[in-house]
Amino acid sequence: MRDTIARCETTAHAEGLAAGLTQALAAARDGFSPPGRVAALPADRVPPGAAAVRNRLAEREGIGCFVWPGREAERPHHVRPGHETERPHHDGASDDTTTEFAVLLGAVRLGATRRLLEHAVTHLSGRTVGGEPTLRKQLVLGTVADVMTGVEAARHALLTGASVPDAVADTHERLTELDWETTKLLGASGYLADGPARTAHVSRLLADCWVAAPGGTP
Amino acid sequence: MTELDAPLRELRGMCREAARDLRTRALAVDADPADVERHLDSPTLTLIRVASTPKRFRADGSVDDGGYSGSCLARVIAGVELARGDAGLICANTGPSLAGVAVDALGSEAQQEAFYDAIADGRTWTFFGMTEPDRGSDATAMETRLEAAPDPADGMLLTGAKRYVGNASRGRIGVVFARTGRTALSVRGAVVRIPAAGYEATPLDMIGLRGARICAIDLNGVRVPREDVLGAHLPASRRGLWGIGRTFNVMRTQIASMALGVALAARDLVREERPGWSGHERVSARLDAALALLHDAAVQVDHDPDARRPPSVAKLHITDLAVRTTRWAAHALGPGAMLEHPLLEKWCRDVAAFEFMDGTSNIQRLHITHDVATRATAPRPSAGRVTTPTADRVTAPQGAA
Repeated sequence: MRDTIARCETTAHAEGLAAGLTQALAAARDGFSPPGRVAALPADRVPPGAAAVRNRLAEREGIGCFVWPGREAERPHHVRPGHETERPHHDGASDDTTTEFAVLLGAVRLGATRRLLEHAVTHLSGRTVGGEPTLRKQLVLGTVADVMTGVEAARHALLTGASVPDAVADTHERLTELDWETTKLLGASGYLADGPARTAHVSRLLADCWVAAPGGTP
Repeated sequence: MTELDAPLRELRGMCREAARDLRTRALAVDADPADVERHLDSPTLTLIRVASTPKRFRADGSVDDGGYSGSCLARVIAGVELARGDAGLICANTGPSLAGVAVDALGSEAQQEAFYDAIADGRTWTFFGMTEPDRGSDATAMETRLEAAPDPADGMLLTGAKRYVGNASRGRIGVVFARTGRTALSVRGAVVRIPAAGYEATPLDMIGLRGARICAIDLNGVRVPREDVLGAHLPASRRGLWGIGRTFNVMRTQIASMALGVALAARDLVREERPGWSGHERVSARLDAALALLHDAAVQVDHDPDARRPPSVAKLHITDLAVRTTRWAAHALGPGAMLEHPLLEKWCRDVAAFEFMDGTSNIQRLHITHDVATRATAPRPSAGRVTTPTADRVTAPQGAA
């Protein structure tokens, strides 16, 4: 698992989300499915005939969103009966194969997070405030250090917590937070749809589809 | 805590009702921000346009503005409720917008009259150019120049570049800030009328808040008549950064109000989708507290337009809370919620915009601690003396008269 996780991270870091996700699919065991009704995969891996859910930014990232075949008539997660036994079998994070896929997706997202951070560092190295490189400002360096630390912590959490669905979900939540903290460093350029912040948004969309919230839906 | 009087409560109710109209148009404008013209006659956009125009310049006196006073408090009350409908539509609207705030703060009576006359048709977008590609919103490092033309009859020439300027590609009048010299006092606002030779605005593809039609502007010797340079009637210390600082204090509360409106919209969606569920209560309590904080900040700006800390505290806290609230909403609605609820996905994108408007969180942190930092470098008080914190206010730049 360690090598697989590393490959997913490396691929996403070098080639982007869709390539990393393709790597994750190649390593995933059969039988995984999203915890909800909808899913997102590399555009060329969307099942033929699946009902598409259009998303402009995901499409530009090479990701297709769709209703998981066979779940077209299901009600959204939050309006299902509250009693556990009345929930569909796929609901919740007890499905091992789905949790494993969530771990691989976490590695993919981690690669994208590193890519975003490197872009931010390069961006800030080339800018100055008061004649000093922006990167040297303590507030900025503090965030860079926090994100670097968070990346290492997330990688280890994926390895050690791979069998604990809630731990995996928690790592995804922390990756979303790290991406946002990094995006803020980019200033308004972090809001451009043709920049790396788009990847951060789509990365979050992927987690939203494939990973139940930490502790389950509140 | 600020108690709202009857007119303000009426305004809030009116805006809350009007926001429904914005909601129905939100996804269409997000999908195609160039196609806004057909929405301009909506009663809500008309109301916003009229209410944000000072009463003495309103062309249409028949529109009931619900007692809108133009105070900072009234602005944030309206901003919260309208953004609860859709912040993108607010930013897509024609009318004075941020340029109007700058003209109100820095313009002479004649300049204000000319500006509002130019947008009286209700079909004119305005723009506000401050941020620069290499310097961000650091006004002290601004590179765009406003210089005398070789022929005095041509007035001044504007040269440089601006980035992340809303509605600049479709605006016909706006305010662009530029440097007339090297000192902090030399940053001035100029009214720019479009079309103008040397002016080129290109829409940028943004993650969200797409109705704002955010653009890059290139300025190559754009001619500005001297009478269109703002602030000539003001003392030298008030024409430049000092005047901008005041403008920003109002803007930051407005941006915070829109962020809070989006957060409330996300919370409202959760409550609608999960009726009877009490899991929203902690989030709702935080949003209520943020609203109270915002009202207090607005009142402080109304009482002291130079107060810098309250609006920065409001913006810093509320933009962060709003981002977290949209995340919570996605979790509360279950896996796949962002794709199942296009408005939620849109709000998750829109809410990030407020972080980048008029200073990121780090810039707000510097504003908030400005007086603390100043105190830290001041001589130590002698033993036994008690010092009191100085009010953190926008002060005239060094060397000001």
